[in-house]
Amino acid sequence: MSDNGVVLGLEGRVGLSAHEDARALVRLIQCSQCSRPLRTPVTLPCGHSVCRDCLPQPHQRENISYPDTPDRQTGVRCPVRLCEQEHPVGEVNVDVTLAKIMELVCTMVDKARTNAELCPTLVTELLAKDDLLSEKESETEKMDEGRSNTFYGGRLLSTFTMAELGELDFRADVRYESLSDNEDQYRQLDLELLEEIRETTQKELDCQICYNAMLDPVTTSCGHTFCRRCLTRVLDHSSYCPACRRSLPIPPSLSQQQSNERIKSLLNNLCPETIAARAEAVALEESSGIGELNVSLFVCTLSFPQMPTFLHIFEPRYRLMIRRAAESNRQFGMLMYNRSRTSQGDLGVTDYCMYGTMLHIQHLQMLPDGRSIIETRGLHRFKVLETGMRDGYIVGRIERVEDVSLAEEERLEAEEIRVHTQPPDSPMEPESNESSNGNGRSNNNRPDVDSLTTRQLLERAMDFIVEMRGNSAPWLHQRILDAYGEPPTDPANFPYWFASVLPIADEQKYLLLTTTSVRQRLKIVVGWIRRLEDQRW
Amino acid sequence: MALPKRIIKETERLMAEPVPGITAVPHEENLRYFDVTVDGPSQSPYEGGTFKLELFLPDDYPMTPPKVRFLTKIYHPNIDRLGRICLDVLKSNWSPALQIRTILLSIQALLGAPNPDDPLANDVAQRWKEDQNAAIQTAREWTAQYAKV
Repeated sequence: MSDNGVVLGLEGRVGLSAHEDARALVRLIQCSQCSRPLRTPVTLPCGHSVCRDCLPQPHQRENISYPDTPDRQTGVRCPVRLCEQEHPVGEVNVDVTLAKIMELVCTMVDKARTNAELCPTLVTELLAKDDLLSEKESETEKMDEGRSNTFYGGRLLSTFTMAELGELDFRADVRYESLSDNEDQYRQLDLELLEEIRETTQKELDCQICYNAMLDPVTTSCGHTFCRRCLTRVLDHSSYCPACRRSLPIPPSLSQQQSNERIKSLLNNLCPETIAARAEAVALEESSGIGELNVSLFVCTLSFPQMPTFLHIFEPRYRLMIRRAAESNRQFGMLMYNRSRTSQGDLGVTDYCMYGTMLHIQHLQMLPDGRSIIETRGLHRFKVLETGMRDGYIVGRIERVEDVSLAEEERLEAEEIRVHTQPPDSPMEPESNESSNGNGRSNNNRPDVDSLTTRQLLERAMDFIVEMRGNSAPWLHQRILDAYGEPPTDPANFPYWFASVLPIADEQKYLLLTTTSVRQRLKIVVGWIRRLEDQRW
Repeated sequence: MALPKRIIKETERLMAEPVPGITAVPHEENLRYFDVTVDGPSQSPYEGGTFKLELFLPDDYPMTPPKVRFLTKIYHPNIDRLGRICLDVLKSNWSPALQIRTILLSIQALLGAPNPDDPLANDVAQRWKEDQNAAIQTAREWTAQYAKV
């Protein structure tokens, strides 16, 4: 846990103590950029927090066409030395929890100032050598004395005041000299102030979902912080922020979401026992579920997220499976047959393909003889990790398959577009073997799919649908549209709809289940379109 | 299954800082089941009445909303004969950051602001729109008849 190369506080069961660790405590709330106590703090997607005013001016981002929302068209370069990535402006918002904590801390500090006159302290800044490599050495005596000043109050208050005046570098250490004889009084003031801060901020450090002190806090793009576990569970149910209902464009497992380092440090140092106890309890709870084959798997057909799948259940083992699903969470996993007998990764050659789609039973019609007709809708994709049998059907342990984060999606697009648009004077026609889909009679003036923006890929596919409808293609018959709906305008889901209606082999459509970006899926779709067009004359 | 910390804390806070005009007491044998009373808001046709409700916290609370139902008969366009309530925060607009307290306040607010354009009890809603004064009069009579302790 570090910020600009400086470790923030401790981790473990012992927190920082008010008097001895006053310097480290103040650092917990000091901005790594301006070195003052955080003012209107923002927590960045990389998990670091800085004052809003310490961010550079936003700039226009390049080569990004998806998702292309106004708040992602501009970005800021991260000022934190360990990151330096470009963050979209839409993901840079005031950290509501941290802002509230700073407000409370400032109030407590002001209150403490009223009875601090009797305790003057001389504080001297000790500057570390300004490079990260000599960090170890700087701990010894190789420190230069920096600014020095006399403040009133214990160590905690005087260090805070020094930071507030901008006289204490974020990375610097300090030396204290009490200018009054009463050492105990200094210690007492420190203890009282820290205790008051601890008490008043405790409520803010509780997760609004589980009402416990936050465990592994993550902050949404709208600036609200929850336990990682709690937010993951929320995202199973809805894609909106529980606090402000803004939509959360993040992959639901949160695996790519960075923890909020500041809030994590505050928790680890203000209430270490609570956090350690909670982490243990959660670890115990989670370990009991590991290795469980807890998902029913139906090997039958190819299904896609968001799309309906209609099934006639007649085999006794699947009747049982569906009945069990209907009585619990109404979900089961759908896998396609592995007709070509290809090896499925670590699973070896199996009867099924390893990527599938979780289905939710929307309607269940029980027939008098025990058969049933069910209408399901795809929830999300998954990958089978391990399987076993239960009463004749397959059960397994699965892992969710998700797209990369929007930031990564944008980076992929920008990178591909950049590569394909330079050198600027290269011939317009791509080499015929470069386009993997261009077999047969390829159109020579057709650009490589990699050079099309994500937006263009979607438009190409949409145009194709319009054209095919104009030609009254049988696979776009009204009956089919009644079942699958109109083409979704969300580029993330469009390929699933397209694959559901397009008359091509399932083995090709299956590729969509393995993708991890919207762009990758749309490129596959445009590849199919080109092949279909090549077959026509 | 042990009761989640969240439910324990919510219950404690409801006891320690009750909301004026609202009570919620958990059953001893089932701490997820609450007996609730809500006083009709002043300046509404429900003024002076105390309405009984039942509230149940499902297994996956707070991921899913509490289930709430009126036990006292009430004449209201958004509450049907079975006591079911048509309120967005109890359905699609539920958020895990809401709580028993805020839900009961929303229900109390619904009594003060009936919405006949989004009805659950169609007959009541229609009467509300056609002859509001008569509907309000009926609501008052029902309050006097069923909701007086």
